[in-house]
Amino acid sequence: MAAVLPVGSDLSGAMNRFLKTILEKDIVDAVLMPMKVPSGDSFAWIIMSDSSIVDDAEAMAPVMPVQGARALRSLTRKGEGSIRVLALMRPCEIRAAIELSKLGQVKTENLILAAYDCPGAVPMDSFVSDPSSGEDLFRKMLAGEDVSAGEVKPSCTSCVEFSMTDADLHFGHFGLGGTEVLLIPGSPKGMEILEALELPADRETSIWDEAVRKRREKQVASRDAAFEETGENIRGVQGMLNVFADCISCRNCRAACPICYCRLCHFESETAKQDPNSRLDSAVTRGGISLPADRMLFHTGRMTHMSLSCVSCGQCSDACPADIPVAQVFSFVADRTQKAFEYSAGRNDGDPLPLRSFMKSELSGIHEMVSDAEPGGHAHE
Amino acid sequence: MNSIVMKQDASTAIRELLAYLLSSSRVDAVLTMRQVPETGSCDLGLITDPSGMVEAEPFLPVMTANAGQALSSISMSGKRIAAVLKPCELRGFTERVKREQGSFDNLLTISSICGGVFPLEKVISGDLEKLVPRYIEKTARAEAPRGLRETCKACEEFVPMNADISVSVTEHGSLMHLHSDRAEEYTEGFEGERIEARADQSHIDRMMKSRSAAKGKLFQSLEKSSGLDGLVDLFGKCVGCHGCSRVCPICYCQHCDFESINFDYNQPYFQESLEARGALRLPPDTILFQLGRLTHMSFSCVGCGMCSDVCPVSIPVAGIFKKTGERTAGLFDYVPGRDSEEPIPVMVFKEEELGDIG
Ligand code: SF4
Ligand code: SF4
Ligand code: SF4
Ligand code: SF4
Repeated sequence: MAAVLPVGSDLSGAMNRFLKTILEKDIVDAVLMPMKVPSGDSFAWIIMSDSSIVDDAEAMAPVMPVQGARALRSLTRKGEGSIRVLALMRPCEIRAAIELSKLGQVKTENLILAAYDCPGAVPMDSFVSDPSSGEDLFRKMLAGEDVSAGEVKPSCTSCVEFSMTDADLHFGHFGLGGTEVLLIPGSPKGMEILEALELPADRETSIWDEAVRKRREKQVASRDAAFEETGENIRGVQGMLNVFADCISCRNCRAACPICYCRLCHFESETAKQDPNSRLDSAVTRGGISLPADRMLFHTGRMTHMSLSCVSCGQCSDACPADIPVAQVFSFVADRTQKAFEYSAGRNDGDPLPLRSFMKSELSGIHEMVSDAEPGGHAHE
Repeated sequence: MNSIVMKQDASTAIRELLAYLLSSSRVDAVLTMRQVPETGSCDLGLITDPSGMVEAEPFLPVMTANAGQALSSISMSGKRIAAVLKPCELRGFTERVKREQGSFDNLLTISSICGGVFPLEKVISGDLEKLVPRYIEKTARAEAPRGLRETCKACEEFVPMNADISVSVTEHGSLMHLHSDRAEEYTEGFEGERIEARADQSHIDRMMKSRSAAKGKLFQSLEKSSGLDGLVDLFGKCVGCHGCSRVCPICYCQHCDFESINFDYNQPYFQESLEARGALRLPPDTILFQLGRLTHMSFSCVGCGMCSDVCPVSIPVAGIFKKTGERTAGLFDYVPGRDSEEPIPVMVFKEEELGDIG
């Protein structure tokens, strides 16, 4: 069941008005949402407490220049404040925020996560080079019109989690013809907001459900096709080498990733660097090496560090100056690693991060290993 | 100046010289651009086996990483290395040596009068095959090829400043100029006619003319970047990936201050600022990062253009840094990378500057 928000002429505008109202009524202290930058060719995350500023913001931006969870991370990683903030973000941004909360980088106690049915995003490079066409394209995407797959961020064309996530509040608009938005509470926090606004959640949602289901079917098919292609491309060591052949080691992929939160990446630290002498020795052994060195080590290393939390947002691909399909590879691997641990990144269902939790039963093997290794043959109890 | 006449094209001749240096054990390794023939993929290779020289493309007009940065740590291995560097890579390396991030001790540097490089996107899209032959033709005639990096079009430092060996290619032929004792010593026994010659000055003058004109235009187009409002306008769309600093040969800090704990909000300060201003941008300090980098390193900027090439939102970072850098460096009569003995302006003070403190 859901509450209903009438739209009038403009979907994004109706959501803006809603956010303005909850600020004016002091239901939250601040709202985090995108706003166009002064040069007009991109958007930035703005957190606002002054409700009049909401008029200049844009509830749903055509692009995702900075992953929303990265913005939230910068706000709460040093500790949570006392003000109540509502963050309106794309579903993959909500999911990344939930992963980061499990990693202690985003604090959610005073945070209300709000998401919307996401039609996908326009790739940054094409938007920057022609913002007005980008905005037109996004309007079409929002209206559910067909656009060619090549115009949308590749990760978005194969995203199956474009709607209901574990947000506190969800704005559903698919299948409703742009005349109204459903406000679907996902948690007591979300419910409280509707209650404070005296909006009863009494509308049944079957039309919207059906629209989401249909879209998901289509998305699943294109994701499966994308996985098949990627799986083929990265087969074996040589496959991976080919895909990353043009990598210049700029590490933009890591910097753009919401999950990679380390201030000093292990692979950029002194620990991971070979000293110059052994570097030359390995050049001699192999007849030659490619510089900057250890590019594959970085990618496979990053993968083992974060693939369980990858939310397939596509930011890494978007930021890559060498046009490497980083996100396609990471999503493909993430799909498999997450399945192996029966884990799904970005769910707030009480599932802890697999590598951060262990069960006692998993330790029995270790106990034996330890006891075998002990000189006396007995482990300490 | 003692020079060697190159009978074949410059790439072939330098490839042969590098192979000669390796097989005669004068050097342990060679740093050069390579291109994999089958895929067209380019990278910087550190080659130790002379047979690996077949993939070497010493003068490929491509910069996947500033080689001055890549050379930095391995130059301190104590092994002898011959490195083929573009003039701005050599200058970038020189700036690093001043910061104790590299050493000339066991290095033979080879550079050339540089026609510029193509942006990465042209390399990735596979246009190189078409572009390179035309590039070679045009640069031999001192004409500017189309489609180069913006800062290459506008680069007036295209003649290597302190290389051991420099290569000049003109319509009248190609020469290897030997600038140092080390160059004489390492090339001893290498085949080729020795003559007394300098690089053709009229060729250089013609190149300079088009470069200076392009630089005027570039700086003009960036005029709006002056002042804080201008910077906000240009850098407003910066996504804070800091790719520009990671690929910069001058930015050598392993942990950039702007990525440190100092630059995340602490709550009391955040809440105060939000109350005072009504709205704040997240992540914070987008412009501060740029201002910080501008003050930390722009006087040493060698205008290589790496930063612009990796910027995911196409900000003309290199042009802005080059322009600002030239202005600050000019105050100190400083040319970054000109001479490894020349001190970095902000790291020296003169006694008379201390008057007030005393
Ligand atoms: S690895 Fe790429 S797709 Fe996955 S969360 Fe990070 S940026 Fe997003
Ligand atoms: S962003 Fe692209 S080029 Fe840069 S490190 Fe990642 S894969 Fe390599
Ligand atoms: S590369 Fe571009 S987007 Fe990234 S920090 Fe530098 S200026 Fe900003
Ligand atoms: S600031 Fe940019 S152009 Fe200047 S040296 Fe660094 S990477 Fe090269």
